[in-house]
Amino acid sequence: MKVTFRIFRFNPETDEKPYYKDYEVNADPKDRVVDVLHYIKNEIDGTLTFRRSCLHGICGSDGMRINGKNMLACSILLQDLGYTDRDKTYKKPIVVEPLPGMPIIKDLVTDFTDFWKKYEAVKPYLITKTPPPERERLQSPEDVELIMEASKCILCACCTTSCPSTWSNDNYLGPAALLKAYRFIFDSRDEATDERLDIIDTPDGVWRCHTIFHCVQACPKEINITWHISQLKKKLVEREI
Amino acid sequence: MKVAKTGEGYFKLVASYKKETGGWAWIIHRISGLALTAYIYVHIYALSTLTKGKEAFDAEMALFQKPLFKVLEWLLFAFVLAHTLNGIRIVLVDFGKGSFYHKKAFAYLMIIGIIAFLVMGYFIFSHEIHQAFAGLL
Ligand code: SF4
Ligand code: SF4
Ligand code: FES
Repeated sequence: MKVTFRIFRFNPETDEKPYYKDYEVNADPKDRVVDVLHYIKNEIDGTLTFRRSCLHGICGSDGMRINGKNMLACSILLQDLGYTDRDKTYKKPIVVEPLPGMPIIKDLVTDFTDFWKKYEAVKPYLITKTPPPERERLQSPEDVELIMEASKCILCACCTTSCPSTWSNDNYLGPAALLKAYRFIFDSRDEATDERLDIIDTPDGVWRCHTIFHCVQACPKEINITWHISQLKKKLVEREI
Repeated sequence: MKVAKTGEGYFKLVASYKKETGGWAWIIHRISGLALTAYIYVHIYALSTLTKGKEAFDAEMALFQKPLFKVLEWLLFAFVLAHTLNGIRIVLVDFGKGSFYHKKAFAYLMIIGIIAFLVMGYFIFSHEIHQAFAGLL
């Protein structure tokens, strides 16, 4: 099939303003978006820049906005976007843009500095105060179950950059950092619960989540982030009473 | 290395990002919330005629019986419904297991809302409806 890729282009060093460039390609409905991006870069326009590494939905480096919605370019087939007919020439282009609201380094490559700062803010590591036992700190299967889903996060930032609360407030911790906070607050081995609860109990923490579900919609690992945030809200309310 | 934001404003992002139930519910909640806040001010202002005596107040009440105000009142009820019903949904999400069924909850609550809206319409316009059908009966 013939399909047009309308790609966001911007080089802050030379361009005054971002612009969109159209590339017409022959593609298969079973191609991934990232395959077509590779084809464009290798065969049509070598100046196109995007980030990717594993190509298998594990490294989280190719989150971008495709047809209006954040997702991983390596985990989405053209047919999933509705381009299913092998013999057709599609008029509606596939629009590829960087993660919304992020500073641009070049084209589809965005600057994650702020995202990592928010991630670090919730102390994303196990904190213990009691002396370590003879062997490892054990968890029951139920304990693991509680943090299983939250542990699947690959830190692609699709969620945080899809959130209107992030767009309106640069300081909002955002769903990815809050999910990470959950992952340790509900970890039976962790002993810094109160410390972490204090960090998220601010107007820029959990309370800025307005349950819009953009994050859940965007998450390539299908994590119900809003549910985890609601558990944090509940825990904070329980702590108060 | 130079880094730059695209300067896409908040509203442009909200408008262009692909919205599903949660996004639309959130927008409806903001709009109805703002409308209700504005209404409170109008309401207080309207009541202030009470200080100008009985005649002034009665005249104003007569004005509110006009069809235009009836339609506005009906609209006001729609905002109240949307805000209350979606408010229930948000409570379910925040303090129940609503994140797992929030789309269904939204659909059902809005169906309830539409029915309540139509029933209220019947009550508000019962006089007009009776008049319109008077000739037929
Ligand atoms: S549910 Fe909360 S965190 Fe997720 S997109 Fe909405 S406001 Fe942001
Ligand atoms: S929660 Fe999902 S969308 Fe957010 S960073 Fe993790 S994997 Fe990506
Ligand atoms: S390239 Fe690693 S997640 Fe897509």
